[in-house]
Amino acid sequence: MRAQLASEVIKLRSTRTTTALVGSMLALIVTVVLLHGYALPAANVETPSDQLTFLIGWGEVLGALFAGLFGAISFTGEVRYGTIRPTLLVTPRREDVVAAKCVAASLTGLAFGVIATTAAAIAGRIALAVRGLDDTLNSGDYVLFILGGAVASALWAMIGLGVGAVVRSQVPTVVGLVIWVLFVESILVENAPGLGKFAPSALGQTLSGLRPDTLLAPALGALLLAVYAATALVAGTLMTSRRDFV
Amino acid sequence: MRTKKIPLQGDAQLEGPLYFDRCAVTTVEPDERLQAAAMTNHAGGGHVSSSVHDPGVESIVTVDHVTKRFGELVAVDDVTFSLHPRTVTGFLGPNGAGKTTTLRVLLGLAEPTSGEALILGRRYASLDHPVRRVGAVLESNDFHPRRTGRDHLRVLAAAADLPISRVDDVLELVALQPAAKKPVKTYSLGMRQRLGLAAALLGEPDLLILDEPANGLDPVGVRWLREYLRSFADGGGTVLVSSHVLAEVAQTVDRVVIIDRGSVVADAPLDEVAGRGQSLEDAYLELTAEAAS
Repeated sequence: MRAQLASEVIKLRSTRTTTALVGSMLALIVTVVLLHGYALPAANVETPSDQLTFLIGWGEVLGALFAGLFGAISFTGEVRYGTIRPTLLVTPRREDVVAAKCVAASLTGLAFGVIATTAAAIAGRIALAVRGLDDTLNSGDYVLFILGGAVASALWAMIGLGVGAVVRSQVPTVVGLVIWVLFVESILVENAPGLGKFAPSALGQTLSGLRPDTLLAPALGALLLAVYAATALVAGTLMTSRRDFV
Repeated sequence: MRTKKIPLQGDAQLEGPLYFDRCAVTTVEPDERLQAAAMTNHAGGGHVSSSVHDPGVESIVTVDHVTKRFGELVAVDDVTFSLHPRTVTGFLGPNGAGKTTTLRVLLGLAEPTSGEALILGRRYASLDHPVRRVGAVLESNDFHPRRTGRDHLRVLAAAADLPISRVDDVLELVALQPAAKKPVKTYSLGMRQRLGLAAALLGEPDLLILDEPANGLDPVGVRWLREYLRSFADGGGTVLVSSHVLAEVAQTVDRVVIIDRGSVVADAPLDEVAGRGQSLEDAYLELTAEAAS
């Protein structure tokens, strides 16, 4: 397992995929936060809750999404390029391969979450300062936002890995995750909050303190999200163990 | 079994570092018993077979009545053969005959529908340190295009807990050092084949399983591969090599297993298949035509 983990670390450091994902994530987050900071009516970004939810919250949402994409690509990329075959020839115990990927992806996801939420917090403060609005968030809010975002992203990386191991094909996995987070869940949370608050992206948001009025408490959200991550990983491990790689 | 270093016979005239290095191979005690093994020829029935019946000779590989179905398609149909030490066996057959599927079943990448395929008496997944037992190349393109050749080998060496020095050893062996730090997308097909072979040799295995290894190699590379495989087997190793290039196979192998439409149509020493006044190509075309009729 230690050897497999070392191998996974070399894998993710020896291509540009990780850098490209972090770069895309940062560009998207800064753009979205600055645009919202510029365009939202002042009344919508006055309270701490609104600033978290409508302005810098994008950092958590997109950080978790990109962590999920990273986790998924760590598996689907191997299927796409055929490297899964040499990987499984070296480590025929397939659950060991998934376990090593889980550790590598969750730690990387944790870093994705810290980078994403920190960038969003900085961009949000800049946007508020430019408009002459007060930053009403205290340091405790920022700490919860960043730490919650980091934990949510780590769990989302595991969800992505599990989904990637089940679906195996890269494009449907990536497109599916993006559509789910940015469209399906948004519609669910807006139109059926009773159901939407149990959805995985919404659970990630609870960890960062977003939408405290409509979403679950952070601790419950973390627990449920961990259950989703565990379920995805078990499904991904079972499918990987049982299916042929031809 | 004992392990010793054997200097492989090389062609010193080959360009650059494309020469044979020392390669540790595990040898079995010499056994002329293989030569004296009983042989049975069922020519005329569309099937040539010959078996090594001596129970004292341990099979390195045993493919025992393996069938693999994909839905309605029977890709491999009751295939049986075995490999013995110090032999190079050619695994031949038309496209879609079931060669690659058989190799994937043998290497644990696909589960047989029935039957079993064993290496050293165990399923591939049950081998201790499989990379030290078996080196395999299944596709000439199982690489991340942006990863360098050296990093590809580092990934595999790390997972197999092999020292990093092995990466440089095998790069030197296949003469890929000059391109080792370039991304694989810049490699020619022949260079990718050599990288795949380098990966297979990382663990200094006793058994090599190669799917179309000569594909894309230039004449120097083909000759190098032929001599390497011969030396590997002479040093106690075992090789199973699938190929379409029958003239090349005829110069390399001791034994052939020919498979057509999922079934074995010949399993015999090369000289028995090709030695009846006909070339391996003639025999192959006759056997596969008979199977089709």
